[in-house]
Amino acid sequence: MQPAIRLLVLASLAVAPLIQTNTYWQHVFGVALIGAILALGLQLLVGMAGLLSLGQAAFYGIGAYISAALTMRFGVPFILAFLIAGVVTAITSLLLVPIVKLPSSSLAVATLGFNIIVYLILLNEDWATGGSFGLLDVPPPHIFGYELTTERDVYFLCLAVLVLVYLGLDRLVHSRFGRALRAISQDEDAARACGISIIRYKSKCFLVAAFTAGLAGSLYAHHARYLNPNDFTFNKSIEILIMVVVGGLGSLPGAVMGAIVIVLMPEFLRSSGELRLILFGFLVVVLMGVSRGGLAGLAPLLTQRMARLRSSASAKSAEPGEIKS
Amino acid sequence: MTALLRTKQLTCRFGGLIAVSNVDLSVEAGDVHGLIGPNGAGKTTFLNLVSGHIRQTSGTIHFNGQNLGSKSPHLRAAAGIRRTFQNLRLFREMTAIENVMVGLHANTRSDVFPSLLRTGAQRQEEKEIADRAREALDFVGLLPSANAIAGGLPYGHQRLLEIARALVAKPKLMLADEPAAGLNGAEARELVGLIQRIQASGVTVMLVEHHMEVVMRACNHITVLNYGRKLADGSPADIRDHSGVIEAYLGTKTVYARHCRRNPAEAQYAPH
Amino acid sequence: MSADQLVQGLIGGLAIGCIYSLIALGITIIIRATEILHFAQGEIMMIGAMAGLSALWMVDLPFVLVLIVGMLGGGLAAVLIELSIYRTLRKLRVPLINVIIATLGVSIILQNVARLVWGSEPLRYPPLFRSRGVEIGGFAVSPQLIWIVVLGFAMMALLQLFFRYTRLGIAMQAAAQDPDAARLMGVSVKRTTTYTFVVAGVMAGAAGVLLGSLFFASFNMGFLIGIKAFVAATLGGLGSLSGAMLGGLAFGLIETFSGVLISTAYKDAVGMVVLIAILLLAPSGIFIRPGRRI
Repeated sequence: MQPAIRLLVLASLAVAPLIQTNTYWQHVFGVALIGAILALGLQLLVGMAGLLSLGQAAFYGIGAYISAALTMRFGVPFILAFLIAGVVTAITSLLLVPIVKLPSSSLAVATLGFNIIVYLILLNEDWATGGSFGLLDVPPPHIFGYELTTERDVYFLCLAVLVLVYLGLDRLVHSRFGRALRAISQDEDAARACGISIIRYKSKCFLVAAFTAGLAGSLYAHHARYLNPNDFTFNKSIEILIMVVVGGLGSLPGAVMGAIVIVLMPEFLRSSGELRLILFGFLVVVLMGVSRGGLAGLAPLLTQRMARLRSSASAKSAEPGEIKS
Repeated sequence: MTALLRTKQLTCRFGGLIAVSNVDLSVEAGDVHGLIGPNGAGKTTFLNLVSGHIRQTSGTIHFNGQNLGSKSPHLRAAAGIRRTFQNLRLFREMTAIENVMVGLHANTRSDVFPSLLRTGAQRQEEKEIADRAREALDFVGLLPSANAIAGGLPYGHQRLLEIARALVAKPKLMLADEPAAGLNGAEARELVGLIQRIQASGVTVMLVEHHMEVVMRACNHITVLNYGRKLADGSPADIRDHSGVIEAYLGTKTVYARHCRRNPAEAQYAPH
Repeated sequence: MSADQLVQGLIGGLAIGCIYSLIALGITIIIRATEILHFAQGEIMMIGAMAGLSALWMVDLPFVLVLIVGMLGGGLAAVLIELSIYRTLRKLRVPLINVIIATLGVSIILQNVARLVWGSEPLRYPPLFRSRGVEIGGFAVSPQLIWIVVLGFAMMALLQLFFRYTRLGIAMQAAAQDPDAARLMGVSVKRTTTYTFVVAGVMAGAAGVLLGSLFFASFNMGFLIGIKAFVAATLGGLGSLSGAMLGGLAFGLIETFSGVLISTAYKDAVGMVVLIAILLLAPSGIFIRPGRRI
């Protein structure tokens, strides 16, 4: 995607809460940005390294609860809690190291199992997590002495984190690390023959993805101000996966778009009442059919169509065969 | 003179099938060493054993004076053993130059943090990686296609790209598994020239190949495998005149038919 | 653990295991035929349960007929989805991951259509069996569970016979194993694929009625059960029929006994830990010997 379009997207994200001043919508926009951070992390796993993970919500939940607990019980400043949430979540992802070598479908089921285990811990260890009642009154984010109390302020915090995560992952993707991940996803034997340690790189990929999910979790905790284990079931993991595939596998801008669409679409469909989720499911199916590259694949698809139309129009007047498809 | 690669009693079994059986073989540094034999003779298995993609059942492999034991493939790659695959194993959705850049993985270091911070050292290294990759592409004649998607390249170019990916790391030993498969006559002749240039650049080559012309022109030492066993070993001239080899490998219909008439029981094991 | 707990656990575990097995079998044959991980299989089961229940509301049917209505409902739902959605997606040649995500979309659609039709409250199945307890070796056992085990096993046996002895079953197996060769032998792979969805839907529909009769029916009963059936299929080695069957039974028993022995709260977690341990020790599942497909 061209830098101009990227800037345009960023600009529209930046003005969105200034145009839409309704706090409910501002809150939803914030949730969408957090979803985008989650989707970016999963994009690295699924889209780049080809690791089908159905457990991303587990890391999201771990990050959220750690950040909430640190600020509420130990009075840790938000910024510090935010970073610790990311780091500790990343460390817990090391639990997955033994399973990274599993083939794709087994890995999917194993990560799903991990998600269920983490969910049950969040649900049953009341002393730490508040159990099924959840954690109430998580404090709003404090940054350098400012308390971000309005939805708009928190939105801009989420946007700042999203931009940083995006830039970071973009750098990773275009580095030796990213090349190694893509190599693994395309041919493990050949990657090993190039000197890449499969287990080490897959584990590192989980580490980075868990780190971003932990950050997203921390943001969510201080954005929603209320945590419940039901926010972190494998349904959430699957929702994140849908964001990534709908946005377009392997594309970072796609992951952002996918998350925004998946979070906002049900809201926009709210007027259709009970049909809302049916329509939503239907749109997912249709999008999977029309574009192999998800939303990110739609743009080139459209320009191709245009080019073909133009070429067939010009073919009548000028000499043919200018554009072959 | 010590051999760069030396196997002792190397054996590999798959269930009841013995793919490689007690093979003693040494490859001298600087050679282009051919490994030939009929289909199913165990040539590719042998390469897989050396590159570490398959573990031997018994026997040892010494490389550069060091026992490879059960080292994994990526460590062997780092130690200087690179390979190409029989049925093209490119990173198909990456560009040609990216494929070659991955080949430098073991020779470079920048990881997550330097890449995130874009440190000076990381940028310097990325530049070197790109430069060396371009050099390797130029060496095999693919520089004009550097930014093409690997999977979309013509077949012959894909073969060359795999060689560039192996060569870019300046390995001590390159294992080439049937690089001439699917090439036309002119391309095969160019391949011979390329192999000779690789040899001249100081890389030892082990070449598994069916294309006899390529083998005879490019190799200065040849080992013949048959049913997993070493059948013969020597210079191209020796091999050409070796009666057992002619019978087993070149197995023309007349030779083989005669052989089968003498030993009807063996006819069912005829190489195809 | 007392002997009574052991017997109850065994029967209960086998009953729920049978239900997992029936769904896992469907998941498995779909994977074999199309490589699709069918995440909507649990919803097909739910449709079966709802179909059976609706029939019961209209006429007072004997249980066997309710079961058959459920099977028809499941089969019909599956074939409609296959014809309208999956076949179209295959025709468009989208990547497999797109189809898999589409099955998630289908699962959302089915859940919400069901909520629209049958409401969001759990619906009680009327008692379908004599409620008096059955005595086996001195232990009182619920007849419900016994029936589920008997019917479940019967259904799985029928499926095996179907795949072994009927023309269609053999053609389906052949098409799944080597589509090109099957095509050369005159098998229409397109048709066998559709029938695969029918058979998978029928099995899931049966599971739905059995599960409904055990607890209740609700629009969202399918997803978690479907996921567990997935786990069961993986446990047995994805792609193997007997693996799916045994995996389902094993998962049912593991889950039930870990509920009894360890803690009810963590019974799902124990199942998952066992699953992960098994995947690590035998990545291709416990019931597949390496190098051989059953």
